[in-house]
Amino acid sequence: MELVTFIFGEYAPRIADISRYVLPALAVLIVARCIVSMLRERYDPETWAYLYLNGNVMVPLRHWECILGRAKSVDGRVDDPSVERLHACLIRTPEGSWTVYNLGKKANTYVNGETVPVGGAAIQDADVLTLGQVSARFVDLTEQERASLLKYRHAPGRRVMPSVTLLFLTLFQAILLLQHLINDPDAGLGVIMAFAVLATVQWGYFIVLRASGQRGFEPEILALFLSSVGLSVAASKTPDDMLKQIILLLAAIGLYVFMCLWIRNLDRVKSVRLYAFIAAIGMLLVTLVLAPVDNGARSWIHIGSLTIQPSELVKVLYIYAGAATLDRLFVNRNLIFYIGFSAGCVGLLALMGDFGTALVFFVTFLVISFMRSGSFATVFLAVAGAVLGVLLVVTVKPHVVARFETWGHVWEDVDYRGYQQSRALTAAASGGLFGHGAGAGWFISIIAAETDLVFAVLCEELGLITALCCVASLLALAGFVVKNASAGRSSYFCIAAAGAVSMMLVQLCLNVFGAMDILPFTGVTFPFVSMGGTSLLACWMLLAFVKGSDTRANASFAVVRPEHFTGGAGVDDGEDDPGDGYYDDEQGYYDEPDDGYYRGGRA
Amino acid sequence: MRKVTTRAFAVLLLVALTIAGTGVFIYRLAVDGDDWATFYANQSIYSDGVLNRGSVSDRNGLVLATASDEGFHYADDSDIRRACLHAVGDLGGNVGTSILSMYRADFVNYSFFTGTTAKAANMKLTLDADVCAAAYNALSGKKGTVLVYNYRTGEIICMVSTPTWDPEQGITFDPNDPDYEGAFINRALSSTFTPGSVFKLVTLAAALENIPDIWQQTFYCDGDTIIGGQRVKCSGVHGTITVEQALAHSCNCAFGEIASQLGGNIISQYAEKYGLTTSHMLNGKIPTTAGSVPAGPGQGDAAWEGIGQYQDLVNPYAFLRLIGAIANGGLCVEPTLLYGESAGSVQLMDPSTAQTIAEMMGYNVQYEYGAGTYPGLEMHAKTGTAETNGGTHAWFAGFITNANAPYAFVVLAERAGGGYYVASPIANATLQKAVQKAG
Repeated sequence: MELVTFIFGEYAPRIADISRYVLPALAVLIVARCIVSMLRERYDPETWAYLYLNGNVMVPLRHWECILGRAKSVDGRVDDPSVERLHACLIRTPEGSWTVYNLGKKANTYVNGETVPVGGAAIQDADVLTLGQVSARFVDLTEQERASLLKYRHAPGRRVMPSVTLLFLTLFQAILLLQHLINDPDAGLGVIMAFAVLATVQWGYFIVLRASGQRGFEPEILALFLSSVGLSVAASKTPDDMLKQIILLLAAIGLYVFMCLWIRNLDRVKSVRLYAFIAAIGMLLVTLVLAPVDNGARSWIHIGSLTIQPSELVKVLYIYAGAATLDRLFVNRNLIFYIGFSAGCVGLLALMGDFGTALVFFVTFLVISFMRSGSFATVFLAVAGAVLGVLLVVTVKPHVVARFETWGHVWEDVDYRGYQQSRALTAAASGGLFGHGAGAGWFISIIAAETDLVFAVLCEELGLITALCCVASLLALAGFVVKNASAGRSSYFCIAAAGAVSMMLVQLCLNVFGAMDILPFTGVTFPFVSMGGTSLLACWMLLAFVKGSDTRANASFAVVRPEHFTGGAGVDDGEDDPGDGYYDDEQGYYDEPDDGYYRGGRA
Repeated sequence: MRKVTTRAFAVLLLVALTIAGTGVFIYRLAVDGDDWATFYANQSIYSDGVLNRGSVSDRNGLVLATASDEGFHYADDSDIRRACLHAVGDLGGNVGTSILSMYRADFVNYSFFTGTTAKAANMKLTLDADVCAAAYNALSGKKGTVLVYNYRTGEIICMVSTPTWDPEQGITFDPNDPDYEGAFINRALSSTFTPGSVFKLVTLAAALENIPDIWQQTFYCDGDTIIGGQRVKCSGVHGTITVEQALAHSCNCAFGEIASQLGGNIISQYAEKYGLTTSHMLNGKIPTTAGSVPAGPGQGDAAWEGIGQYQDLVNPYAFLRLIGAIANGGLCVEPTLLYGESAGSVQLMDPSTAQTIAEMMGYNVQYEYGAGTYPGLEMHAKTGTAETNGGTHAWFAGFITNANAPYAFVVLAERAGGGYYVASPIANATLQKAVQKAG
């Protein structure tokens, strides 16, 4: 405060007032730039191999897991009466070797005339693949072909430069800091340090990755934006205890980087999935046994001064174990095992009394099981089972019943059951579009304001616009994942990313709409924003799955670049050189992604 | 792969649900945000449960209520505090239709866009505190109400209701004390009363439009008459008179005869048409109580209905609108309490009917009440003395046509005597002040 007075003198209040309008403008800019970059920029699929049917009809294989058959929904369509709807499956390992599996019920699949056994058969360049009466030549790409193909792939970050977005984010953080210093007499060195460390780390991260040729930063920038808002909430709540918060945030970013690097190797991911299953169930069991009852739930384990919420970490394990590669999706046993595992997780959470988290897991389960099976029947059965389960939870846990009873009636009992939410609504309305300024609110002193009711803090202190930008950030990540799915390499990454964003969205809905009395109050966190260490770690780790679904050229360090690549695109000087490996709007070629004739294929 | 890709669209369902929920939130915020923000837990605008920002002033900027860190205070003058209490309200929200109860969000300068972050602003009313104080003093302890408004602009310059109390002192009386009967309601907006002879204006309008030979008819009054088997008593013996004289004398025999010619249904229809039986919204927000004028089934009941007795009940605010329309050529400019805010207008009455009734109300004053009774006022009015259990309501309703003071008024003194002797002097005192203030 003395510092601010020293620098700005009598103008400090005036500056604080003006900054209230600059903050939402920056928030909109940051989120809009990320959305445009993620959703509006051109998307080019990768190509990994070709099939030449009957000599000259070319079928490009765009994923690591491709289904061949007569159905319209397959990846490589072979339209012949002798071919079954889902006939065969071609799967590429991360190392580049291909295996073919037979999916046909009546007809067989042959490689070079030999029947493909149940365990699959290896297939190499120039081998002949026979489906029913149709023979196809399998062509793996050479280094030169892959390099020439890559020239036409479009890398992100050209039209919307991430460095500029990051600059806006830094400005956003600087204004948050300034407002805290002006508005809150308790805000001091700790708050300055926290924001300074965050800014330093984010630029360090950007510079290192950019120097190594990475071009996509939208998911991280959105997460950093949300984390900055979260840091502001922490600065309002505990201005004297910022060290813990910033250490947690750094740990979360560290774990994110680790997860991104870990999921680069799909074989490695698959090899430890079983341990993830065991760890998930194990952690929930341990919590159930060790955790005391806090606010009606056994969710927190206390170790010294540390409080851990293991169910948050189980979220990551649940996604990690629940996603699956295509070969596993065809075996029903795997799905049944997954449903059993999910029921175990949700059941344990219900026993713990953590109704909100149980709901988050359940909706995520619906999304993942639907993506795995595509079967509404399975999903329907699961819903029916869950409804019964929910009824059980509601009848058993009185505090859950109470919350349902309060739902929609918070104004009828403003000083007891509706206490928190009536004040949350009051604070949210009080902030208007631009807010009172970071650190200038009163709502933060209400119990659970920094966690379950954090949306009201955002509205009150930062204003409705910035609060909605936080919501939009997570919606943008979801849209990004859906878009990425079209160019996904393995279904594992598609399912994992969809599961991760579903988890975030359900949490978001329960948090925001629960606090604002649109849904029953279930007490879950706002991803990245709510205070609470374990939740923050989990959110950043979940973000790694989003990053893992991003197959745009050179966009994501969680995705291995095509290893035979030798072109000049990896190290980009930022200039739009003709033929430097990036798509060029002005030249306008590469407009027909399905014709297959521009890909340097051998006819 | 493509199957899995397609299934990823399931995520968009969650996106849609999130957007829908956010839409619901924004909608509720836009509609109910003012109530949320002005809840007493909002520490931005309340200190220890007491509003700490905002102010209300009269049309001349005289502060009627103000909130600051030093506390909540009302006007300096105790007569003004009492006179304006029911229009302005008190911090405790004891008057439900008051500005402080209905416009708390405006008082603290809340809006959807700024929340409560904007600086406190003064809320200006159309009231003239001095005129209100004059009316309060003229009521001199009687229960009742005085309403004055500008029938050209709609501005309410006086709205007083008694019994009242000093909000600075708080409620020091026993609410069950008969002297404080109905102290918490604004009689101008939230009460209905038997109208008595002021209702003859409605019967007159119906007669002008429905009895073609009304001007040719004469009526004979020898103090009472039998209509439909019921005896209708008059205030005097008026002999043979025209309709014009009947209004001036407020002759019950003549108006009973006119009402029985019209029938109860037509009179009820006119009461409804003139807005006497509907609830109005002052400034689109403050509700008023609807009156009721049920049709008398036989000729006798119709006669009583037409002279403002029977089961007739009229709300003073609704009657003020009607008087305003008569004064303004049939066009009722809707009253407003918020300075600078027009509330629109409605053609309540046929212009020629309005013109005729206006002239007849002027004739009342010239030939019956005495122009000298209202020095300096170009007065057009009608008295009323309504029979009720426990006494008569004294009514005086009308308007003045002074060039710079086009005011319509309704004065009611509850169970206080006759219209001419009790209500008319209250109107005179109030309007003298109003004209003086108008310059």
